[in-house]
Amino acid sequence: MKVVATYNIKGGVGKTSAAVNIAALAAADGLRTVLWDLDPQAAATFLFRVRAKVRGGGRKLVRGRTDVTDLLRGTDIEGLDLLPADFSYRHMDLVLDGAGRRTRRMGRVLDPLAEHYDLAILDCPPSISLVSESVFDAADALLVPLIPSTLTVRTFEQLSAFVEDEVEDPPEVVAFFSMVDGRKRLHREVVERLSTDRDDVAAAAIPAATEVELMGVERAPVVVHAPRSRAARAYRALWAEVRSRLGI
Amino acid sequence: MPLDVPARAFALPEGVDPGALVSFLGERFDLAVDPPERTDHTVLDTADRRLRAAGAELRLHTHRGEPTMALAGRPGAPPLTATVRRRPRWLAGDLPEGPLRDRIAPAIGVRALLPLARVRGEVRPARVLNRDDKTVVRLRLATHAAVVEGGEVPLTPRLEVAGVLGYRRPFERLVSVLTTEAGLVEAPGSVADEAIAAAGGDPDGVPSKVRVPLRPDQRTDEAAVAVLRALAGVVEANLPGTLDDLDTEFLHDLRVAVRRSRSVLREMKRAFPPGPLRRQRDALRWVQAVTGPTRDLDVQLLEWDDLVATLPEDRQAALAPVRALLERRRRDAHRALRRELTGEAYGAAWGGYRRFLDGDLGPDDERPDAAAPVVAVAGRRIRKVYRRMVAMGEAVDAGSPATALHELRKRGKELRYLLELFGGLWPGDEARDMVRALKALQDVLGTHQDREVQADALRALAPDLAGVEGGPDALLALGAVVERLGTEQRAARERFADRFAEFASPSRQALVAETFRP
Repeated sequence: MKVVATYNIKGGVGKTSAAVNIAALAAADGLRTVLWDLDPQAAATFLFRVRAKVRGGGRKLVRGRTDVTDLLRGTDIEGLDLLPADFSYRHMDLVLDGAGRRTRRMGRVLDPLAEHYDLAILDCPPSISLVSESVFDAADALLVPLIPSTLTVRTFEQLSAFVEDEVEDPPEVVAFFSMVDGRKRLHREVVERLSTDRDDVAAAAIPAATEVELMGVERAPVVVHAPRSRAARAYRALWAEVRSRLGI
Repeated sequence: MPLDVPARAFALPEGVDPGALVSFLGERFDLAVDPPERTDHTVLDTADRRLRAAGAELRLHTHRGEPTMALAGRPGAPPLTATVRRRPRWLAGDLPEGPLRDRIAPAIGVRALLPLARVRGEVRPARVLNRDDKTVVRLRLATHAAVVEGGEVPLTPRLEVAGVLGYRRPFERLVSVLTTEAGLVEAPGSVADEAIAAAGGDPDGVPSKVRVPLRPDQRTDEAAVAVLRALAGVVEANLPGTLDDLDTEFLHDLRVAVRRSRSVLREMKRAFPPGPLRRQRDALRWVQAVTGPTRDLDVQLLEWDDLVATLPEDRQAALAPVRALLERRRRDAHRALRRELTGEAYGAAWGGYRRFLDGDLGPDDERPDAAAPVVAVAGRRIRKVYRRMVAMGEAVDAGSPATALHELRKRGKELRYLLELFGGLWPGDEARDMVRALKALQDVLGTHQDREVQADALRALAPDLAGVEGGPDALLALGAVVERLGTEQRAARERFADRFAEFASPSRQALVAETFRP
């Protein structure tokens, strides 16, 4: 099982949108896919019409006292299951802080899922914390949405350096541009320059689009509720790149 | 542990309108009906249905003009697909690298994926929703037909119901409504099985083994003939695949069935008239002989990659001409096999053998075991062959020639076939336990013998290699392969003593004498 985490220290940059769309596309390709909503805000869980409740809460889950397969819920998307969010995840850092081998904990939760799934997608909460460090340890790839600006690129570089230096077996870190407004010259220039110049920036860029915003209303990923839209095409291109990088 | 995704398939009784069923369910559940989907696909599996045994279902269809394989996922999940090249059959190596191949290859092993039936039809998907409009059960109303020569054969219309992970209760409620209120019953087998049967095939696949129910008090000749007929069926079922060279296992299974038949004729010889028996044993020996060279080369080629894998890379590369030569010889050998097995001699020999099995075996007086209960004769033979093996094995020491182990292996095969074909006559697990201990011994003896045969066969390639490009390098590398075979043969011999000790332990000897006593 490959593990991909959508991560950014900032919120509202398109992590959950990327996670749910990529998960839906992977499942449609026949890959057995699970999405773990790690964000206590539970946006992905809401989107899939699943109750944001994990029996025993985050503590028991992370400490291995809950059978993770009992918590899984099938979504409306065939082949895609969800490990729902829980409001107790807001204390996940404290739970991890008190646990031994804390950076291995997320990986341990995922271990029993490996025989059932080809791909796990982790939708991370915005922050840099013990949770994110444990996610970095478990992931094969970090997918980092960036809003096109010079500053966000600098943050991405800091993240890449951190992962490279601090994680024992570092995941591949791949950025992609998100919420790209084609009318803004700065957006156009940054996207064009960086996605051409840098190997760790995906060529696919997700536009700022109404369809993406409508996901919460439709309660379905863009690739499902507006499959012909520009945003859906962009997510498909992004998934193709991710899939090829992961070799799955 | 598999994930808890329940699934059931129900047959729609004749005359029931699928639309009426949808309305019936719509009155009881919040049902979302999705647009219908057309399907036109070919069922793929190995001849012995390995995918079905592994719980997998593989289809071939055309997607955007490209032949595409689709491996069904768990109930309610989309299939895993891969574009493939159009071929009459696919070995695992013919599939494109990727998850589909990764999942199929372990299940099919060396067998080929073959088109077993073609299916056309329509599927009407629907979903049961909960209060949040979330899908909690998936349904598929399917009307299929098998495409056969000259038309289509309708298959049982079915309603497939799949649960959604974590939502078992609505699934159970729906199933309860379907079985109690609508009176639906479980569908008979899968669409694939039904289509294969409709196309004239056997849904259980081409057989490789036989299981003939015998009674302990049955006459030995009757019991032996029943087993031999079943084995002849295996030979006949595997012949077309052998001739068409679909994969190596058709020939393997054909040869094993012939070898088992010869064993039954030998072990139960006193149940048959001597003259005709001799002719039939000669006929089967001839079949074995004409198919032997191809099988020997199959073994060489199947084991080739593992054999050379431990050599340094340059040596492996130098061996390419050897592999090419083996492949060429294999093609030639199969051509010769095909000529023999489609020729008059085979037709006459096999026809004669079938008549022998179907005809009158003559009076009992020249067949002393004919009327004896099969349990007595088979038990006597099992005890005798086992005792003989114990004696032969005890005589083996460090100075014994390789032929001593080879002879022991041959006896071991006899014993194994007796136990497998007639072991069911005895209650309890003794026959099965013996087969297990025997297999462990036979593995060692087999490795010992096979490595010698392989080494001899490779040495025999030397004259032909000398003249080809890269030949001298290949010969040098071949030396390393032969050396490795020698090492493996010696290692097998070292393992022999332990395995034999287990097989011939005093407690087992006592148990064999007790279990199979007259």
